[in-house]
Amino acid sequence: MKSYRKYMTSKIAWYILTFVVAVFLNFLLPRLIPGNPVSTIVSKITSGMADTNSIKRVYETFEKEFGLNKPIWEQFMIYVSNLFHGNMGTSFGQYPRKVTDILASSIVWTIGLQLPAIIVSWILGNVLGVLAAYIKKGFDRILFPVFLFISCIPSFGFAIVMVWLFAVVLKIAPASGGYAFDMIPSPTFSFFLSVFQHYQLPFWSIVLVGIGGQSLGMREMSIYELNADYVKYCRLLGLRDSKIVKYVFKNAVLPQITGLALSLGTMVGGALITEIVFSYPGLGSVLFNAIAAQDFPLISGCTLLITTGVLVANFLIDIAYGLIDPRIKVAQRE
Amino acid sequence: MAEILLQVKNLKSVYKTRFNERIIAVDDVSFDLESGKCLGIAGESGSGKSTLAMSIMGYYHPPLFYESGAVYISGVDITKLPYNQLREKILGKEIAYIPQAAMNALNPTQKIINLVADVMKEHVKGISFNDVKKIAEERFETLNLPKDVLQRYPIELSGGMKQRTVIAISTILNPKILIADEPTSALDVTSQKIVIKLLKNLIKRGFIKAMVFITHELPLLYNIADDIMVMYAGEIVESGKAEEVIFDPIHPYSNGLMNSIIVPEKGIKGKKLIVIPGAPPNLKYKLEGCRFSDRCLYAKDECKTSKVNMKYVNNSRSYRCISQVDELKEMYKDGKKPATT
Ligand SMILES: Nc1ncnc2c1ncn2[C@@H]1O[C@H](COP(=O)(O)OP(=O)(O)O)[C@@H](O)[C@H]1O
Ligand code: SF4
Ligand SMILES: [Mg+2]
Repeated sequence: MKSYRKYMTSKIAWYILTFVVAVFLNFLLPRLIPGNPVSTIVSKITSGMADTNSIKRVYETFEKEFGLNKPIWEQFMIYVSNLFHGNMGTSFGQYPRKVTDILASSIVWTIGLQLPAIIVSWILGNVLGVLAAYIKKGFDRILFPVFLFISCIPSFGFAIVMVWLFAVVLKIAPASGGYAFDMIPSPTFSFFLSVFQHYQLPFWSIVLVGIGGQSLGMREMSIYELNADYVKYCRLLGLRDSKIVKYVFKNAVLPQITGLALSLGTMVGGALITEIVFSYPGLGSVLFNAIAAQDFPLISGCTLLITTGVLVANFLIDIAYGLIDPRIKVAQRE
Repeated sequence: MAEILLQVKNLKSVYKTRFNERIIAVDDVSFDLESGKCLGIAGESGSGKSTLAMSIMGYYHPPLFYESGAVYISGVDITKLPYNQLREKILGKEIAYIPQAAMNALNPTQKIINLVADVMKEHVKGISFNDVKKIAEERFETLNLPKDVLQRYPIELSGGMKQRTVIAISTILNPKILIADEPTSALDVTSQKIVIKLLKNLIKRGFIKAMVFITHELPLLYNIADDIMVMYAGEIVESGKAEEVIFDPIHPYSNGLMNSIIVPEKGIKGKKLIVIPGAPPNLKYKLEGCRFSDRCLYAKDECKTSKVNMKYVNNSRSYRCISQVDELKEMYKDGKKPATT
């Protein structure tokens, strides 16, 4: 137990170190993109103004507000101390909205779309994978090539095909957005209905692509497990196959938990392309637009959120594995 | 006469490979197993011992297929039973198995007690987990196994302990027949002795009624078997009482197996030797004549062509060779010992 605590302490120390480095890089890297975002905003605001003096004054005000006139290390100190107060600064591109506000409103969409999609595809993929390995014959002969085909299509390609088929040809689902563009979010039935309709295409395109990859991996693992000696021994003990398949499922699914946690952790980045294809109002679209607008604070905010997600997910994997898998429990103890 | 628990009649099993080869790994095997007895089966690796074990238990999964013959367990021909009935009524309950590689026979992510519970619940309707625990703890104690093993995962047990645990699990329902396939092969000498003692204990206490003990070391059977069958290339080549087969083998192959332990070579005294040069024939080809003829030091011309049937010396002793017993004994006495390698 003592060495287990030691193991966890050193793990946590590594996670904190990684996080510190990540904060630094998240701050620095967007600011290395060449170009001047402030002048873009200023030229937008001052369009129609003729007086160069007042344009210059506006420019300076903005530079001061964003702290861009200070040396970069001082900017970093301010950034960090603001972070401690939960302040990620003001967006350039969506001025004067706070970065935290933008992130908070868009992450709801992203999580609402991704979390169910990832979990559904993970569960369906694993169940189909183990069944394909166990049933073999016709089931496997049809599903295996289908899985293989789906998993080879890039997700944006798949999303575009979905839009074309269901929105353009069949016209049974809206093509883009999180709700009808002429609506204002409100707790009404018609709004929720619109959200639900807009949800289907992005949701199923993530789910289907996910099932493809997930079930292939699970099928491989299950075939391996089904050939293990314990399966034969259990059969000779007279255990029914449904019980044995449960053992196989548990053992084969353990390594897949890493995949699940990683895709949960990389939810935001993973959704980027799907969200862009469907113009879904989530973090992916926000990050995409922020990069286009050189919106440093917003880019840093998005990437910091993504990094934190990945780190937390990995940390949870480490803990969960130790709890579920006795082999790792023992290894950690030693 | 004692009750016959297991009767195998002209059993034939075949591996059908992807290349359309038919490997007859168990060929026309017949024997009876009486209550209270331990039958030893010996033969080199690849002679079909494990396949025979699977066939007796009706474990036919591709590429292994049933070809012909019968296996009577408690009067029922299990080769004719649908799999579900075999599983419900026979496996684990009437006949149980200890695998060759008990090291990997346990599901790594399952506590021992949970496997015991699954096995018992499968065969005893409505039994509660508490009852399972009570029965298992009692059984483990009786068999001199620490009962906290039940709360452990397989990885936490040593090789010998794992093997003993597997034996205890396999026999928890007091099956009439136990098939042990090389239960000691992977163990060190000390653990081997403990395991053999445990197996004998099972019969003595009546937890099992009879046993089939499979090994590639014929002399090992002296410690445990009442009767011995020697297997070669899918066939039984000799069968008889344990002392007779070990100390007075008739078949040149049995004789070779015994010599392979007894005769030390100069320089490496006491070391085990491969005294029978060559390897068993490839079973995918149709074999004519005696299957051992390529390696037999006493082979005659007709050995390669005519089919060799079992000959009975008395009703417990038989062998598969065209030569007469006296003829063979004479040759063994002549010192025409098989050459050592
Ligand atoms: N999965 C398999 N596919 C094809 N042939 C097999 C397979 N398993 C065993 N055999 C063949 O059956 C023969 C007997 O094997 P086995 O019963 O394992 O022997 P033993 O247990 O005596 O070592 C071997 O010679 C081998 O060629
Ligand atoms: S039949 Fe011939 S070859 Fe076969 S064991 Fe007897 S003597 Fe040897
Ligand atoms: Mg074997």
